[in-house]
Amino acid sequence: MTTKHLSPEIISERRLQAVRLRLDGMTVAETARRTGLSPPTVSAAWKAFREGGWEAVPVRPRGRPTGQGATLGDTQRRHLERWLAEWPSDDQPGWSARTLAQALGGNTGASSAASPRAVEHWLAQQDLKPAPLDLAGLERRRSPAGRWYRQQVLPAVDNRDSHLWQAGARVCAATPGHPRRYQLFAHGKRDTLYTRCFTAPPRADDYLQLFTRLKAEGCRAMLFRGADLTASPEIQTWLREHPDLLLIIAPPDVLTATSAAKRRGASSHSRPMERQ
Amino acid sequence: MTTLTHLQRLEAESIQIMREVVAETDNPVMLYSVGKDSAVMLHLARKAFAPGPPPFPLLHVDTRWKFRAMYAFRDQVARETGMELLVHINPEGIEKDINPFTHGSAIHTDVMKTEGLKQALDQYGFDAAFGGARRDEEKSRAKERIFSFRTAQHRWDPKNQRPELWKLYNTRRHKGESIRVFPLSNWTELDIWQYIYLQDIPIVPLYYAAERPVVERDGTLIMVDDERMPLEPGEVPMMRKVRFRTLGCYPLTGAIESEADTLPAIIQEMLLTRTSERQGRVIDHDSAASMEKKKAEGYF
Repeated sequence: MTTKHLSPEIISERRLQAVRLRLDGMTVAETARRTGLSPPTVSAAWKAFREGGWEAVPVRPRGRPTGQGATLGDTQRRHLERWLAEWPSDDQPGWSARTLAQALGGNTGASSAASPRAVEHWLAQQDLKPAPLDLAGLERRRSPAGRWYRQQVLPAVDNRDSHLWQAGARVCAATPGHPRRYQLFAHGKRDTLYTRCFTAPPRADDYLQLFTRLKAEGCRAMLFRGADLTASPEIQTWLREHPDLLLIIAPPDVLTATSAAKRRGASSHSRPMERQ
Repeated sequence: MTTLTHLQRLEAESIQIMREVVAETDNPVMLYSVGKDSAVMLHLARKAFAPGPPPFPLLHVDTRWKFRAMYAFRDQVARETGMELLVHINPEGIEKDINPFTHGSAIHTDVMKTEGLKQALDQYGFDAAFGGARRDEEKSRAKERIFSFRTAQHRWDPKNQRPELWKLYNTRRHKGESIRVFPLSNWTELDIWQYIYLQDIPIVPLYYAAERPVVERDGTLIMVDDERMPLEPGEVPMMRKVRFRTLGCYPLTGAIESEADTLPAIIQEMLLTRTSERQGRVIDHDSAASMEKKKAEGYF
């Protein structure tokens, strides 16, 4: 008998009843028949009782704990916007949801603390949470983009024996009350997002600040998208002076396999740029 | 009796105009700017004179600052149509290295486009030149007749234009006069796109949205098409999904952010837009060089 339609309270009560019946010596099958639970559930409740006592038997309440999904207050949002417009004081390559949440807790008092998840939700609402490229999917793609990744990116990264970071520049959509913003971002290990916002297009100094911080974070290979770095002499000079950082420009067709890109021949856009 | 659609009526009108010009003038030419209007005009010309090629050459007044994709497309079209392509660049402009950056858009346009066009028309002795201008593009173009007469010095007098009642065109030229003919005058930008879609007319890929390197200058997105584009210190072009509603010299042509990468998507975008395509032309915002003034001086 399925119990999915029952509330957690009723299921918890039946599990407690099942444990009591088991303590009375009834078999699993008989207990299951009497409580309406399935035999595996009876066994699970019995096991939970033996390992954790009566407190371990009830099921956990469904859904997110009360308050976890709460939106941030005006003061918290103002703090986040102000911080995102500056580089973090440590060497991190930008603000992560965790460091922003920690800063909210530390700087604005415990009453204003927020979970990293709440900050992530806010970032997503503000269009400040770009998704990382699906590199595993790209590796499998039978397309010029997939071949480019397999034949040019993977061997170069393997030589570095390094995790491949993803970084980029983008224009964020304007949100109610906020004009258009520009964003530098990086995805590190486990796709942790680091970000920094600008009111004008980032300058070469801003890119170099990001690269310097990424190097300090241990980045040795980076897939970059969203800016034509080959056109900037300052960045080219910096890359020549820092040969330990492999910078690969993602061709546009890797980002979106648009029909226009297909029409014009996707392979013509491939231009991996290793530091020269 | 079948009823023509509005596009078929426009097509018939344009074809009639072209045949009228060929019948009434001695040495016509088609100005080919490589844009979408030129593409439609060329398509109409080929229809008008099929099965033979149109009995006039194509003339491209080059400024040396068009998008690279435009040059590639221009040469491809000339090869595929088999038409004679005349390319004229103002030699004085080459000698003085006139460009939009050091000389400004007004001088660049005057020397490389207006003077270049006048030189080419004089050099080859053309007495009629087809142009792809439309009334909906700009105010002064709205009041210009389909048959627009120019003096021997190629000047246009907006207060001295001939009536064109019931689509009857007076093609009589005074000595030294030439005619600029605009077969697409009554078309709108949306008509152009619908016709391109229906007739499957090839156009420059820059009209479709794609990731392109752009910089922001005074709120205008300028594509960095080659290494001649001087960047400001510290400036880095961003890759943004943009397309062009109009094509000209790349440093003077603004892109728009768009997701329209197919013709139906462009048409859908057109249905919602409330701005003129020429809002992206830097030269149109120069009050000292208004379109009417430029046209009076001989600009296309």
